Order: sequence, then C-alpha cells, then structure tokens
Amino acid sequence: MAEMWISMGPQHPMTHGLWTLKVKVDGETITDADPELGYLHRSVEKMGERRKYFMNTTLPDRLCYASSTTWTHCYVLTVEELMNVEIPERAKYVRTIMLELQRLASHLMWAGSYMPDLGHITGALYFWRDRELFLNLLEVPSGSRLLYNYIRIGGVKRDLPDGFVEKAERVMKLFEQRLDEYSDLFENSKIFRMRTEDVGKFTAAQAQNLGITGPNMRGCGTKFDLRRNDPYEIYEEIDWDIQTREAGPGYGDCFSRYMVRIDEMKESMRIIRDCFKKMPKGPTLASTIPVRAQGEAFRRTEDSRGEALMYIVGDGTDRPYRWKIKSPMFTTISAAPHYLKGYKVADIPAIMGSVDICIGETDK
Amino acid sequence: MTLFGACRIMAELSIRILIPIFEFQEGLFPPFSNPAGWFADWLATDGGLDTMAWFYAVNIALMVGMTNLILVIHLERKIAARIQDRRGPMLSFRSLREVGEDLSGNAPSWKFKENYSGIGILQNVADGIKAFTKELIIPTKADRFLFTMGPIIFISSSVFLLALFPLSDRFAASSAPAGLMVIMAAFSIAPIGILTSGWASNNKYSMIGGMRSAAQLMSYEIPLLLSMAGVFLVAGSFDPVTIVEQQRESTWLFGLPMWNIIPQFIGFVVFMVCILAEVERVPFDLPEAEAELVEGWTTEYSGIRFMFFLMAEYIRGFAGAAVATILFLGGWAGPWPVPPEIWFLIKVYLIIIFWIFIRWSVPRIRTDQILVLGWKKLLPLSLINILIVIFMVEIYPYFTAIVNLPEVF
Repeated sequence: MAEMWISMGPQHPMTHGLWTLKVKVDGETITDADPELGYLHRSVEKMGERRKYFMNTTLPDRLCYASSTTWTHCYVLTVEELMNVEIPERAKYVRTIMLELQRLASHLMWAGSYMPDLGHITGALYFWRDRELFLNLLEVPSGSRLLYNYIRIGGVKRDLPDGFVEKAERVMKLFEQRLDEYSDLFENSKIFRMRTEDVGKFTAAQAQNLGITGPNMRGCGTKFDLRRNDPYEIYEEIDWDIQTREAGPGYGDCFSRYMVRIDEMKESMRIIRDCFKKMPKGPTLASTIPVRAQGEAFRRTEDSRGEALMYIVGDGTDRPYRWKIKSPMFTTISAAPHYLKGYKVADIPAIMGSVDICIGETDK
Repeated sequence: MTLFGACRIMAELSIRILIPIFEFQEGLFPPFSNPAGWFADWLATDGGLDTMAWFYAVNIALMVGMTNLILVIHLERKIAARIQDRRGPMLSFRSLREVGEDLSGNAPSWKFKENYSGIGILQNVADGIKAFTKELIIPTKADRFLFTMGPIIFISSSVFLLALFPLSDRFAASSAPAGLMVIMAAFSIAPIGILTSGWASNNKYSMIGGMRSAAQLMSYEIPLLLSMAGVFLVAGSFDPVTIVEQQRESTWLFGLPMWNIIPQFIGFVVFMVCILAEVERVPFDLPEAEAELVEGWTTEYSGIRFMFFLMAEYIRGFAGAAVATILFLGGWAGPWPVPPEIWFLIKVYLIIIFWIFIRWSVPRIRTDQILVLGWKKLLPLSLINILIVIFMVEIYPYFTAIVNLPEVF
C-alpha cells in the first residue's frame, strides 16, 4: 500500500465533536497529521461584547458542555477583578465545591468517552453511570444538569440547601468504592495497559513548548497546577496535593494521563471534604455589585482540561469592550502531529481520546 | 437411530405423497410434461431417496443452527445488559422499582426471575424486518460484482459450517472422515470475503479493515492448526466422532473422564485464543474496529447485506465453540440421564457465555500486537503442546512397557 491521506472527521467515532484529523498513513503507521478546527465556531467572544456583564455568565457555560461551571467561573473571576468586587467567604467555599464537583463530572465524562475509543464499551457505561451521581449533586443547588449558570458575579446564585453535605458524602463514598472496583478492570488489565502504555508520548519540555497544559502536562511529570501556583478562591487554605506521574518508563503516555485524571478525581473528593469541614456560615452573594466597568483584567484558572485564560477590557459601559478566551484544548489539538507521528492507526483514538478533547471550548 | 436414518424414513414417507403428484403432472400435457414422470421414477430409486434424505438432514441442521443463532444473540444482549448495569427497555419497567435511587449507596438488586419475561427474543424479529426493508446501497465507484459477492462468500461459508459439525454421534448432517479439516477449511474462506468486500467498497477505512483481516489470518491460523494437531495425534483421526469416542473412553484418577483439556491444557488455551481471533470477537475484532475505522470492512454495507455479516459472525462463533467442545471438552460425552445432544449444547453455551464475558470486559488489541501474540507467544506454546503429546503418546508407553511405571495417560 502506498502512503495515503485519510480524513477522520468531522463525523467520525474518533473525533468527540466536530473537527477533522487528516492523517497520512503508510500501511498502518502514521507519518503525518493535520488537524482542522473551526466547525463549531459560534463567535462567543463577539456575542459577549453585545451583552451586559451579568448576562454573559450564560455564554461561557456553553463553551464546554462537559465542564461548564469552570468556564463560567473563569469569566466571573475576571469580571470581579475588573470591577473590584469582594465576594463573601462562604461563597468562595461553595464555588470551590462546585468547581471540584464539575471537575469530577468532567473527568468521568472523559473516562467514559475514552473507553469506547479503546473498544471497551462497558467502561463507558460504568463511568457515565457514575457521572450521573455527580450531575445529580450539581443539580441540587443549581437546578439544572448540564448548563448550570450557578456562579454569578459577586458570589453564587443561592446557598447550598440542607442535606447537601450528607448527600455528597454518600455519593463520594459510593464512588470511592467503585473506583477501587474499576482498578481491576482498567489499570490492572493487561490489554488496557498494552493499548495505553508507551503510546502518544510527549516529554515535559515538549509540553511546555507546545502549550499543552493541565492533566496532560502533569501526566509527563510537571508539577504545575494553577490552583496551587496561581491560587484563587480558597485553594490556598485547603489541604491537597498536585497529582503528577513520576518520571520513569512510560511517563507522558496515555496511561499516565489516565492515571493522573483518576488521581485527580480522588484529590477532588479530598478537597470537597475539606471544604465541608472548614465552610463558614454567612451570605453567598455580595451586597453591591457594580454594573459598569473600566479598565482591563486578566485571569487564568485551572479548568478540567488545562489552563483557561480570559482577558476582558471594559470601556466604562455595562458591556465588555473586548473579551478574549484562550482555551487549553486549542493548543493541545494543534500539537497533535507532534505526538501522533510514528504510531499506528489504531492508536489515533487512543491518543486523541487521552488528551480529553472538547471542541466547544476550542472553537468558541 | 441416526439423523440420516430418520431423514431416510421421512423421505420414504414423503415420496408416497410426491410421486402421485408428479404422475398427475405427467399426464397433464404429454409429451411436454414427461420430465415430471422421469423425476418421479428417479425419486423412487435408492439414489433419489438418499438425496432427499440428505436434503432433509441438511435443512434440519440449518434450522438447529439458526435457532441457536437467535438464542446466542439474545443471550449476548441480556448478558451485556447485566454486565454493563444498563436499564434498557428490555428490563426497565419492573426493575426500576427495585433499583431505586443509587444515592442510597446500595448496589442495585436485580432479580433475574422477576425481570426475565423472554419477550426480548422478539427483538431479533424486529431486527430482521428492519434489515430486510432497508435500502441496499452500492457506492457509485464500488466494484459492483465483488461488492455483491463479499457478503455471499461470507454468509455461505459460515452457513456451510453448520452442516459440518455433529451434535452427537447420531445427530449429524454429514460424517466426513476428515471432518475437522473440512471445518477449518470452511472457516478460513470467510477472510477472503472480508478482503473482497473491503477492497470492493472503494473506501479507505474498508480497505484497511480488509488488510487487517488478512494480517490477522496469518497470525492466528498456524498456531490454531498446530494446537489442534495434538488432539489429532492422540485420537489418530480427523473425524469428530472418533475424537469424542477417544475422549469418552480415556479415564483419569478415580475413573474421572480425561478429556483433552486436562493433558493438553496449553493446547486448549492456545486454541481458545486463536478461535476467538478466528471468529473475530473482542479483543480481536480489528477488521471492524469502530473507533478508528468507523465499521471497518462493513462500512459501506446496508440492509440485509450488513445483516448477513452480523448473522455470519454469530454462526461462526457458535461453530467455533462447537469445535472447541469436540476437541477439548469431550464433545457430547456426559452422564446418562441427559441426552448427548443436550450435553453438547450445554458445553457450547458455556464457552459462548465465557466469550460474551470477555467481549464486554476487555478493550481491543492492536494489529501489531496480535502479530506479536500469534508468532512469538502462541506458536511456541502450540509447539510445546505437540511435544507434550508426543511424549504422552509415543515415549511414555514405551517406558511403561520396559520399566514398571503406572499408566497415567
């Protein structure tokens, strides 16, 4: 067989969204790759410039359908910096709890969609079953299951209801039991390791040069997490650790990225439990919130997939003059040729699935 | 009484009805209707009766196979739903009451007896109707002849398998002395159909799928036949009936039956891995890897042609389990009150359930990995198995004759 280009996408089981990966294959070996983006562009930034600051909280919700609260939070944090809003202490704790619940749901969504990429349908159903538990939890205070619009400028929409802590404890206990069960099915399974180990490798230096952030970068041994390195909300006061994989044989591959996400889920539950312990009483929304803003503000937060960056310029009116969003997945997908070359066709879904693609935030 | 004997009696009974009908037709428009009379004369001969008996026997084997096909598909669906903790329409209404809310922290309790109504088997009928009524699409630039031939080769070689293996020494549509060799030959026709349809679809995914099938064939076929060679050496025959009789007669400690699985356990493991690759089930379903190749070589097929592929895969699975049962699990040998055919089916279904559990709990492996597995691991293992068998059959009996050793084998 001569070398040929295969177009995977925009409608292909591998893509998880609307994008195209063109790969040049020599038999079964990948010799070149060319990702194409832009099928899902909804001009969120431009839309935001026509709407008021407090109306805009619904837009970043729709940036990533798997991790919407974290994006709203990034926007709200930037606007609060722009407007110099101080938020109540309890609101910070509630936000942290919601962010970590969202991270759990997002990682579970990733794990669920990664398993069919390897040909393991049962894994998908197991992880989505567990994601359901956390969606139920997120539904309790916010009232919706996918697009929450819960975090507002100046705090959160409403306080956590009675019984939330007990419910969350039950869910987390159940989920911890299940994670132990899954370890036999996934990380201790010979075939799962055959498919994920030493596949799609990139080093820490490569990740820094290519702009790959988040769990993908922590998978190759870099101890960098914005929750600790550029802290926001109350992550400073909470007792938790950055989850990385030690440098050694097989680090920076699909398996290490899988393990980092599993460890992060356990760590998220630790953060939530600590928040429950330390949470003070009080209001959850600032008493006065300005409508207009002048100047510019920039914030970055640790999204479920990497560094989410937002830059907002205000010109004194009640609408942003410029709103810039930088998504972690945009750089990660663009770097695909660097970590795809040399592997087999069967590795394409295994590699592209392992970096946790979300096209909504990539195309904005 | 054998199946063929019963069919012969049926043939003799049916010519009593058929011959008057043909003779009546002969008298209608002479001389144009004379062939009906010639046919009636031929039916009355020994050859005519035998042909008719074969016709009945093969049809009965086909019906048995098709019934089992429906049962296997139903079993796969039910077990998959249980393994995956799914609450589909087949389980929902009555089971929801029991599952309740997961937040209680208790595992959902599903009681099989209450939930199982058996009505889900009608899903197969619905699937059949759907496949028949769908449009048959042939891509514009496809090779029309080969595109049509692909499914025909695949389904016909698979259905042919049903006529080849016996359910017991009396229930067999055919009894060839080289029976298992014919079965394995029929098994390896199907990859030609895959290669043909993969190439003829004029689709890159399909072509890669077809090529993978060929690569896979090369990696598993040799260890498969070598692991079977051990059984042939012990039995001294390719005939399924002789192989099963040999296993039935040999005993072990305390008079326990020594089926081939005990002395040739390595061969059994190699055979089970290879036959799984032969019938293309997870983890060896590389040619139709849906994650990267959409549906591999079946991408461009629709309607009944696609259904043929699906059916043929399950028929091949059933036949593969039957071959494993004959070779290693003692075939239809079993204690008295249960008829041998039922013993055979019990063993076959145990293997199929084992496969279903494998299918829903492991990921798919890669093309280069199956080549490594076949050539570097399974091939040496199957050779070791043959060495053990040679020691067992030739060398050990020689020493037992000279020195006073116990007869183990």
